[in-house]
Amino acid sequence: MFSKFRLNVIFVIFTIFLSLIFRELFILQIINTDENTQDIVSQNFETFYIPAPRGEILDLNGNKLAQSFLEPYLFLNQKKINEENKSVYKQFISFNFNELTNTEINNFFNSNELFVEIVNLNNYKSDLRIKIQDYEAFEIFNQPKRLYTYKELFSHVIGYIGKPNQEELVEYPNAFGNKTVGKNGLERYYENILSGKPSEIILQNGEIIEITPAIPGEDIQITVDVNAQEVVKESLQQGIELANKSFETVNLIERGAVVVQKIDTGEITAMVSLPDFDPNQFVSGISEFEFKKLNRTQAFNNFAIQGLYPPGSVFKVVAYWLAVNEGIFPEDASNSGQYVNCEGSLSFGFDDGSKQVYQDWKPEGHGRVNLSEALKQSCNVYFWDIALKIWRTFGNTDSEAMLQEYSKELGFSSMSNIDLPFEREGVIPDRQLFEDWKISKPELVRPEGWLGGDLMNLIIGQGAITTTPIQVSNAYRALLTGIKSYPYLFNKNSDLNEENINISLEFIDFLLDDLNLVTNPGGTAYRSFQVMGDLTYDIGGKTGTAQNAGDLNNTSWFVGVDSISNPQYLIVTVVEEGGSGSAVAAPVSRRIIQYLLEENMTPVEFGEITE
Amino acid sequence: MINRRITILGPEGTNVYVIFQYLIFCVISWFTLFNITNEIGLDIQNVLVRQIIFTLIGLSVFFLITYVSISNIFGLSNVLMFSSTILLIGVLFTEESLGARRRYNLGIFDFQPSEFTKIAFVIFLAAVISQKRNNFFAIVLIFSNILLIYSQPDLGTTIILLLVVLGMYFVSDVKIKSLFAFLIMTFISFFILLEFDLVSSFQVQRITDFYSAEIQDFSQRQSRLQISLGGFLGDSLSNTENISIFVPVQTTDFIFSSFAKSFGFIGCVALLFLWVFFGFRVYSLIVMTISEFEKFLLAGFIILLYLQILINIATVIGLIPLTGDPFPLLSLGGSSIIAVSSIFGIINRIFIENNQVI
Repeated sequence: MFSKFRLNVIFVIFTIFLSLIFRELFILQIINTDENTQDIVSQNFETFYIPAPRGEILDLNGNKLAQSFLEPYLFLNQKKINEENKSVYKQFISFNFNELTNTEINNFFNSNELFVEIVNLNNYKSDLRIKIQDYEAFEIFNQPKRLYTYKELFSHVIGYIGKPNQEELVEYPNAFGNKTVGKNGLERYYENILSGKPSEIILQNGEIIEITPAIPGEDIQITVDVNAQEVVKESLQQGIELANKSFETVNLIERGAVVVQKIDTGEITAMVSLPDFDPNQFVSGISEFEFKKLNRTQAFNNFAIQGLYPPGSVFKVVAYWLAVNEGIFPEDASNSGQYVNCEGSLSFGFDDGSKQVYQDWKPEGHGRVNLSEALKQSCNVYFWDIALKIWRTFGNTDSEAMLQEYSKELGFSSMSNIDLPFEREGVIPDRQLFEDWKISKPELVRPEGWLGGDLMNLIIGQGAITTTPIQVSNAYRALLTGIKSYPYLFNKNSDLNEENINISLEFIDFLLDDLNLVTNPGGTAYRSFQVMGDLTYDIGGKTGTAQNAGDLNNTSWFVGVDSISNPQYLIVTVVEEGGSGSAVAAPVSRRIIQYLLEENMTPVEFGEITE
Repeated sequence: MINRRITILGPEGTNVYVIFQYLIFCVISWFTLFNITNEIGLDIQNVLVRQIIFTLIGLSVFFLITYVSISNIFGLSNVLMFSSTILLIGVLFTEESLGARRRYNLGIFDFQPSEFTKIAFVIFLAAVISQKRNNFFAIVLIFSNILLIYSQPDLGTTIILLLVVLGMYFVSDVKIKSLFAFLIMTFISFFILLEFDLVSSFQVQRITDFYSAEIQDFSQRQSRLQISLGGFLGDSLSNTENISIFVPVQTTDFIFSSFAKSFGFIGCVALLFLWVFFGFRVYSLIVMTISEFEKFLLAGFIILLYLQILINIATVIGLIPLTGDPFPLLSLGGSSIIAVSSIFGIINRIFIENNQVI
């Protein structure tokens, strides 16, 4: 039975407690307000921050790529130093830590920090710590230290940390107390996850009265594989060395990038950009000389996402897709199977009466070619014919920018939105852009503006077009799966923005078969892949050689697919000024494919000059 | 019981007083959080945005529960208690954070099963007491839950649950003698646990420190000062001065201190009056309803809510040692808000089943 009387008793008890609370509140808020406000003003709290350990970065198999260690540091509490004991402390420091110079020691005592960091105690004998206990102005705090296990290997993927600047202090509230902030790479992109919250040491009149513990940053496990990354870097280095040996160029060839991307998910298995640097240099502070030296070689650029290069013939797959989808083929062909004659050059006239002759890279011509043969031999004439057809049919109409729209659909000229900072977009030129450039960059465009020749240049990946290796990789992935999404390094980056692209399974098979022709007899990359023997029957790719202005050597491109029957990985290689794609970039990719297929890796050897 | 048409927001399905009271508490929480952070940002890390999202989830839980009849809740009492036990066992296998295992990490927010336990506990006890099912099975379930929460460790919730058991049995016609026996048993078991070192020395030290010496906890001293700063009218409008004060967990356990600073003595009186008035409304409902189960359920909930409020304020103003309990509907925290929303939902349902729409 419910007892109303007893419920009343409970309410009475509650009321008594409530009156006690009201009494206390009344005392605090009405009687003692002024007194307590005075107390607050005279509290004179000061706060010193000890950085939180950053989250660690692990590879696919749990190897630690970036680690955090806590190490004991000796600090000097400035508030407890006065004229009397100053000399005692000076003596102690110079006696026990004899590698410190006198000026350094004097600076400790003139610092305006609450606590001045003296030394890392791990470098000294442990009995020193017992001695330190007798000195009340000394404190030992554990401070985190960052270590990049694989040094240069992940310099661009992981990035590095450094002292925060004004904007970073505003953007990342914990950066002030942590004293460092991610400057580039994943360290930057996932700063909020990795950084953690610093420990607060609250002082009143020089005495520590409260220490709130730090909240360590969260670890992230990323999709790259240390072993793959090592092989990729070696292969690219061999390729660059090979290019330097094979070509006489004005500049030293030293820049290049490789992206290895998983086709089904879009995750990145390896990403290398050369030249690279050791991010550990930033942990203890990099010298200005060293920084400038690295900066001059552009070592801080991640060319995989920031290098802007005309893609050359690797771009032909866009026209290939357009041709099949729209049924637009050269004048004499009505489907992809029909052959046309390639005589090594194309002469054509425009409505305005002008006539021009375009030379293919192979002066004697490719002979009879259809769409598949044109891709296999990288025949420019065939694709120029397609461009002319588009120009003649749709020129100056709304459908004129058909090729550009197909490119944009595959992600060109916009960021791939990989989870790395400072990605660049590149350019897909069209009439509007040329009009804009007439005003902003008149040196780049003719006064006539956008012409048919520009479209013909675009279709073979030349001219004003620029792309990044990650864009190329992601575009091929879209063509081979029908899905476009953001590539990623951290699996928990949930928003991948998946979009379906109108691509049939039939088309995917057709394209794979034709990519396969490239690495087989008669294809531009056969010479580079020959060493793999029968395995080439199941491998595919596309070479690209992009001309550069002036006396710069060509940009060497290759997009490889590890398997035709079961495509797993895309390997995009670019070597700046590396010459023909089939000569340098193709054998680099070949060596990586050998690794991915668990075959014997043979050295990167010169393929052949095509295109 | 009349079969009611339950409508969303309609006076037929919702007691106007309960929903308004609920919303007023939520809005007070938003203003308090806004005063703490003073920032407007639309990201998920912003405490105000989080709290508003939690409130919206809480509001939907409130309405969903309004659709569940009290007889269904009665039927579910055993299931709820079992699920609570399983959740509490599961949480002991999660990763430790800040020295305790209390929550499941669900991505953007953490789920604290002890909040769910509080509700299951009251429903189960109401069913057991109203039916006089004081069997062995019920007692084992009740105490295993208390022990499980104790071993997280979460001393604050343990004490609240013990007091809820005591209070709910007290309002039944059980002999006072038995209640004393219960109290003595509790003390004995506490000292046994202490003897076997099963109480973390940290918690004991906190208590002994508090009562033995003059050392009041640093954060409590700070929160007292912060409350003082509010004065009679509060300083929510005029606070521009940069003062050095260090109140920890300002948005959760110590939110009352910020509330008192922002809204002053008058604000505290108003907030507590709203809760007292809520108690009166529930009290009148207890008197009105004829169902024993509903009487115990309502008494249990009001005891639970009042205990949390009183203990929270007493902690913040330094009357008792730190426990770490949230202030219902004021503290930031998804689990707590959803739990209190469920309680309001059930109370609302009892109101409408008794034909009280205003």
